[in-house]
Amino acid sequence: MQQYATSETVDAVVIGTGAGGAPLLARLAAAGLKVVALEAGKHWQPAADFPTDERAQSKLFWNDERLSAGEDPLPFGNNNSGTGVGGSTLHYTAYTPRAQPDDLRLRSDFGVGEDWPFDFDEIEPYYDEIERFLGVSGPASYPWGPARKRQYPLGPLPVNGAGQLMERGCRTLGIRTSPAANAALSAHYFQEGVGWRSACTNRGFCQAGCSVGAKASMDVTYIPLAVHHGAEIRPESFVTQLIKGASGRIDEVIYVRNGQEERQRCRYVFLCAGTIETPRLLLINGLANSSGQVGRNVMAHTALQIWGEFDEDVRPYKGIPGALISEDTHRPSDQLAGPVDFAGGYLLQSIGVMPVTYLSQMARARGLWGEALKQSATAYNHIAGINILGDCLPYGHNYLELSDEKDVRGLPKPRIYFSNGDNEERMTSHANQVMRRIWDAAGARNVWAFPRNAHVIGTCRMGNDPNRAVVNAEGQSYDIPNVYISDNSTFPSALSVNPALTIMALSLRTADRFLNRLNRLD
Amino acid sequence: MPYHYPEGTVRALLNTDHVTFATRTALETRLALEAAYEPRFFSAPEYALLKAVCDRLIPQTGSEAHYIDIARGIDERLARNESNGWRYDAMPPDQDAYRLGLAALEASAQSRHQQSFLHLAEDQQDALLTLIQQAEVDGEPWDHLPADRFFEELLAEAVENYYSHPLAQETIGYVGMADTPAWQRIGLNELDDREPRPL
Repeated sequence: MQQYATSETVDAVVIGTGAGGAPLLARLAAAGLKVVALEAGKHWQPAADFPTDERAQSKLFWNDERLSAGEDPLPFGNNNSGTGVGGSTLHYTAYTPRAQPDDLRLRSDFGVGEDWPFDFDEIEPYYDEIERFLGVSGPASYPWGPARKRQYPLGPLPVNGAGQLMERGCRTLGIRTSPAANAALSAHYFQEGVGWRSACTNRGFCQAGCSVGAKASMDVTYIPLAVHHGAEIRPESFVTQLIKGASGRIDEVIYVRNGQEERQRCRYVFLCAGTIETPRLLLINGLANSSGQVGRNVMAHTALQIWGEFDEDVRPYKGIPGALISEDTHRPSDQLAGPVDFAGGYLLQSIGVMPVTYLSQMARARGLWGEALKQSATAYNHIAGINILGDCLPYGHNYLELSDEKDVRGLPKPRIYFSNGDNEERMTSHANQVMRRIWDAAGARNVWAFPRNAHVIGTCRMGNDPNRAVVNAEGQSYDIPNVYISDNSTFPSALSVNPALTIMALSLRTADRFLNRLNRLD
Repeated sequence: MPYHYPEGTVRALLNTDHVTFATRTALETRLALEAAYEPRFFSAPEYALLKAVCDRLIPQTGSEAHYIDIARGIDERLARNESNGWRYDAMPPDQDAYRLGLAALEASAQSRHQQSFLHLAEDQQDALLTLIQQAEVDGEPWDHLPADRFFEELLAEAVENYYSHPLAQETIGYVGMADTPAWQRIGLNELDDREPRPL
């Protein structure tokens, strides 16, 4: 791997190596730029370092404490950000549906939320490129959204028990389903700059780290590509300060590595630390916030889960967890579950689950303990779930602030306020009915709900109005022209799909726009 | 109806090629933990109380040799001052929450029964824990701690510690750790040979 001296002024420092940082890092390196990625976590060797054990794998989660406030406090840790080279893609489910064109114009269509500053056509070529590079497995024809220009590069992954049950229930109700698009390989796959990656072994452990390299986390895809093109990855480097020079630009990044403070001089900074750490770093440093929008507009997908018990042997630890999808609820018709009284919509996905995650959720949501808990736990092999991921509107009451409490690094812990609004409550109530009907039709008993929100989004939104947005449509800070943000913090609206694929698409788009600008300057 | 699975399934699989070296190391370390443990964060009386609570949250009826020390994982985590990434803003920091919660639990036992929680009958212990779960306890110590959140956090951590243990995983028929080379039969009612059948 290429190594740069800290005394050298590199072209760009990229902070964070997840879905927002890694694609961009590879793009900049491929263009010949000198780039260094600073990653807070370790650089794991999955085959040796990732046991099939949830407890041991909690090392992949961002475990610095965050304070969860509001009416619906958001769990973090295993529910959100990750740490390590690859960021939260180390523990994402790799569910990679595309956003639909109308996801980007919620305000135009419903009069609430925000429109994106560009339309679907701007993102579509990047979706196509990323799906090809990662080796996304998906169906030959996908029932929802605009026609694809090319098929998914690989056929769909096999559907597990939970997926079969959801398909059964949906078929009875006339809800269309499809094998989902997943960024895990259904066959061996050759990747430019990386080599061959092997196929998924159905170990069902995506949310606690893939040990076989089949899941397209950044550490086995865009990171090796970036290194191939000359990028340096500096793991275990926690950024604490961005230093502004006389020109008003950031010319130095300070980070802590092995307990020592180090400095890296640079021409540009790409902040890709995610919805919590990106605004936290800006607020700690008092930067890029003339709009007052840094930390505002926290959103989190509606993500209710409905679990049921079946006579059939399900063994929810096998197969890609999110095997099946339906987007018939993307803009649901009134036939599905009565009049639709909310803006936006959601997707439905079948879910498998690891035992500790499942039982911990069950204990929290059902309040079971003692013999009742132990008896219910023995049904683990017979349970299956359905989950929604739905849009969430930005509200003034949902925001991130710095608390007075300090973490182990001596930095203020972030406090995140989150309360679902009426729109989220109504959407969730609709989804609750739909999912319970599906499970009834599929033959479930002992059905129970796990209320949750997932995928924290917002806090540094992009937009065309510098008074209402932190970055412009290219991801560039309005206040500091050599600072770009590329992660889920810039989403103006939450979308009704999992965010990872769109984060990667924006990352490449930001890189291309930046490179064009740079070429014009030359 | 609860399902029952044969004993020894996970332990037998740990000795096979169905388990990677990394997985075997992680699980065998947990299996090999010595029964005797001196708490590093809690005082001895606090730890005895915590163990008594955990024994009601997840009662264990097996032999002494198969006892899973749920409290130990909590003590070790707090001694290392580790977090799981978040906490309810309404709760004090984890170390304080556990100390306060145990003291409040003991105070409630004393005020209701004039006895330590440790000496209550099991149904009295359960009744008190239910009141805490439902936030229906009062008294000064609970003024600084939402009882229902304390209970929820304690329960979740106890469940995570217990079901992370191979012996507990055997009881629910989980063998997901035996994932090598690959699961071939993943559909409904499809089992690979190495997966246990319910008794």
